[in-house]
This record gives sequence, structure tokens and C-alpha cells, in this order.
Amino acid sequence: MKDTELVRLQLHAQHSRKNVIQMIKAGKSGHMGGALSCIDIVTALYFNIMKIDPHNPKDPNRDRFVLSAGHKCMAQYAVLAQRGYFNKAILDTYGSLDTPLPGHPNMHELPGIEANTGALGHGLSISVGMALGLRLDKNDARVFVVTGDGELPEGSNWEAIAAAAQYKLSNLIAIIDNNELQISGKTKDIMNMDPIGKRFESFGWNVIDIDGNDMAEIIKALVDTPISEDKPTAIIAHTVKAKGLSFAEKKVAYHYWTPDQSELNQAFEEIEESIRILQRRLQNES
Amino acid sequence: MSLEMIDPRKEFGRIITEIAENDERIVVLSADSGKSSGFGDFAEKFPERYFEFGIMEQGVIGIASGLATTGRIPVFCAIAPFVTSRPFEMLRNDLGYMKQNVKVVGRNGGMTYSDLGSTHHSLEDYAITRMIPGFVVLAPQDISELRNAVKTMLYHQGPVYMRIGSQKIPRIFDDSEFEIGKGRLIKEGIDATLVTTGYILTDVLSAVSILENEGISIEVIGMPTVSIIDKDMILKSIKKTRKIITIEEHYILGGLGAVVGELISEYDPISLKRIGLPHEYISSGPYDLLKEKYNMDAKGISKQIKEFIINKGVKI
Repeated sequence: MKDTELVRLQLHAQHSRKNVIQMIKAGKSGHMGGALSCIDIVTALYFNIMKIDPHNPKDPNRDRFVLSAGHKCMAQYAVLAQRGYFNKAILDTYGSLDTPLPGHPNMHELPGIEANTGALGHGLSISVGMALGLRLDKNDARVFVVTGDGELPEGSNWEAIAAAAQYKLSNLIAIIDNNELQISGKTKDIMNMDPIGKRFESFGWNVIDIDGNDMAEIIKALVDTPISEDKPTAIIAHTVKAKGLSFAEKKVAYHYWTPDQSELNQAFEEIEESIRILQRRLQNES
Repeated sequence: MSLEMIDPRKEFGRIITEIAENDERIVVLSADSGKSSGFGDFAEKFPERYFEFGIMEQGVIGIASGLATTGRIPVFCAIAPFVTSRPFEMLRNDLGYMKQNVKVVGRNGGMTYSDLGSTHHSLEDYAITRMIPGFVVLAPQDISELRNAVKTMLYHQGPVYMRIGSQKIPRIFDDSEFEIGKGRLIKEGIDATLVTTGYILTDVLSAVSILENEGISIEVIGMPTVSIIDKDMILKSIKKTRKIITIEEHYILGGLGAVVGELISEYDPISLKRIGLPHEYISSGPYDLLKEKYNMDAKGISKQIKEFIINKGVKI
């Protein structure tokens, strides 16, 4: 991939981060930490990898995106708005009555949402069903599902992980947003699921480890999938919770964030500064 | 009424297989449960549309939801508690909230898995599935109604739960189109209205016949849809009889008795007798003896109805 294209993707990710902060400003609080850890991945999918048309969100040939960790929905809302699925003004309805942007996504309210997630451990099973259905239709569309590392102790995940391998669903790509934190602390202290990659491997999946906040690594991994035609792929994306906000990174207190005005200001300033830097780099390179 | 007794599971699987010949959208999911659900032929005829997952009912409901998003009509049948209470959150979110066109069938329902004990009984399935917005809950009463309800279920847009038993059942009704939410006036009477649902109809009709011989005239309404009951039919009947009884192979809490109670307390509050199982983990043993123990055989049902009617001042 050309450097300019990479910078453009990074810019979309930063604009999407700004959209997240915009929603939190409107709603006064939200699940920020996980949204910002997975937002580079979600940006890469919608802007580079997935076969989608924002103006035809129900196209039967579209690739599917399922956010199993539904509480990170601000990442998806932010990227969908950035990609043109809906008007950015809707972001300001976050937290208000009857908003199409509830605290966990609702497919009947917003274009681009494929599943009503929020209760953890559901997205992988739904994605397995989608992948099976697409294959039965001889449709070469793929299913991308983002799960959190904190949701992996849910047993239902492992039912789906076994089924995906049994049915050799190479059209299914699970991306584990491995930010190592959950609401009560470090995932490895609360319920250690490491080594996550080896667990997927032992169930019969191909596994890739990447830095999930490094756009070049994300794109390379996603372009390389499927690694083989007889296995689903798990991308273990090592990420930083609340990535992009210096005061919040890797701090569990920012899993759910109710900012005061000074934190909000700082968040906007840091993201806007990173956008300016990326824009300058883009100008220099072109 | 035909005297031939038919296994509802086999008949259910046969009908689905027959319809699936002409409808490629129908897919069958199995949690090591397909063959015992009457899907042996389906698996042989349509192997590409038959998915075996082993014992993982939560996963299967989620997978069914995903399959439905691609336009398929997934049918999943297994032992009733394993497709209702175990994956309840998947029914609620992946099917109900997502409005997915999935058909979940609980077989060996109620206490028909009698000797296997309480883990295998489902005496709360109507209660929990009817709580999910948009879920249709069906309990066909004879072989004819089962056949027609299966067809209606497949082509109803949205999630459906159907309970079937395991005991062989007769054909009581003539074939007619099954309409969700529609009651069936099975017998007219004057002393009380009896509302029944599911495969227990044979015992119910025997009980009514015992009472008839003793001079008690019961109006019998069959209600094969538990989630949406036939309000007009019930209110019209109780206007005449002024007494109402419900009977179901379910806890007396939360099921048909509760649905009818909710209806009449709002529109026409009269005395209601709920016949069903006590709210406890019931015994295990042969089905006939369980029915006898809990007064759910014809004799027990007639006894319960008679006591209620005498208490309410009907002279016999």
C-alpha cells in the first residue's frame, strides 16, 4: 500500500476518534476505552477491506461487519458516519431519547448495523450463521467480527469457534480487540484467556498476531486473509485501551468515561493536533 | 377423529421435509438432535441444508439468527428445555430483538420426557418464550393441527416457538388452514368455559365426556397459539358460562392460565380455575403415572373441574 493511502486511512481513523468524542460530548458519557482501542481496525475494514456501499447498505453481496463487543458501538457509529452511511449531525443525538445510536447497536435503527449485540458472547455465533448462509448461497462475501478479549470467557464464544472450524469457514474473520483491560481490571487477573491465539489454533483456526493500532499491520493482516481455504482466521489485535488520548490510554477508569469539560477539551485538542500532523504529512507526500 | 396414533416428532420432520422439497430457503439445524426430531430423511435428501453442530444449543440459536439474515428459514428442534431455558438470552436478543425468521421447536415438551426427570421437563417454556416481544408461541393439539401449524409457522415472518410432545397423538380435527392467534370452538356447553392448549387434548376431551355423563356441560375452546389468544372467542363464551377453566401441561404460573387470567381480569373479571402442574420440580416416572399423580389424566382433570364447578354453585 502507498504511504499516502496509509496516511489517508490514519486520517479517517482520527476523524472517527473525533466523532467518538463528539458523541460523548453530546451524550455526556460512554464506553470510550474499547471504542478507541478497536477504531483503527473498524476504519481499515470500512475504508479499505470490506466490499460495501454506504448507499446500498442491504446489498446481498456486501461483506458483513458484526461488533460482538456491542458496547464499543461508538467506534462503528463513528466510522459509519465518516464513511457516509448517515449524516454526521446524527452523532449529536447520542444519549438522547429515541436516538438511532443507542448505547448498544440496533440494526433496525441505523444503516450498516448487522446485529443487535451488547450482551457479550453472541456475535461470533451470529457471524458463523452469516458465513454459512453466504457460502450456501455461493456468495463470496465475507464476515468480519470484532470481539473483545474481556468477552472471551463467555462459553457461547467457544461453541461458535468450534462450529466455524468444523465447517471450515474461511469466509469468517474474527478480530480480537485484545486491549487487556475490562471494567474490573486486567483481563489476565480477572479470567485469564491467554494464550488467546493458541486457544483459537487448537480449535482449528488460522491465527495472526498484530499491533491492532498500527494501520499498516492491520491492512497487511486483513489483505492476507484467508490464510488457507479450509480454516477461519483469528486476528489477535494487540491494542491500547483508549488509544489516542494520552491521559486515558491503558487506564481501566476510561472503560466508561464521563468527562469533565477540561478532559473533553484536551481530548479534542489532542485528536485535532494529530489530524493536523497527518494532513501535513499527506500534503508533503503528495 | 382417526384412531391411528402418530408420533408428533416424526410427523413434524416429515412435513418440514415435504415443504423443503419446494423451498430451498428451509435449512435444518441440529444439536445432536436432528434424527430424534424426525429429520433423518431431510438429512439424507438435503445434506447441504442440514447442519449438525453437536450439543451447543446457545451457539445454534445464534447461528440460526445469522443464517436467517441471509434469507434462509432455519428450523431447529431439540428437547424443549434445551431450546428454551438454556439459550433464553439468544432467543431474546438474536431472534426476538433482531426479528429473525427462525423456527424453534421444543419436542418431548411438558413432562412427556417423564422418567428422565426435571432437567428434561419443560413446564415453563410457554411462560418464558411468550415474554419475548414478537415471539409467536404455538402448541398444536392434534396431528392435523400440527401439520397445518407447521406450514403456517414456516411462512410467518418472524421468530416462532412451537412445543410438541413425544406421545403419539390422534387426528381429531379436519384439515384447515392454521391461523396464528385463532381459537377453535371444539364443543359447545353452558356450565363453564374450558380453554386448553397443546397435545393434552385427548385427555381433556375424555374428561369433558366424563363430566357430560354426570350432567355437566362444558364449552371447550382449543387455543393452539399461547402468545396471542383469541380474545373475542373467550369473552363471548364466558358471557354465556360465567366460569372459566384453563388447562395445560405447564406450571399453572405464566402459561395459558396466566394469559387468560390477564385477559379476563381486564375485560370481564370472573372466577378462573387454572389446571396445570404445581410450581415445583415434579416427580419422574412413567408418563401415565405422572399424569395420574398430578390429576392431569382424564379422571383427575374431570375431578378438578367438577370441584370448581360445584364450588361455584352449579347443581349436579
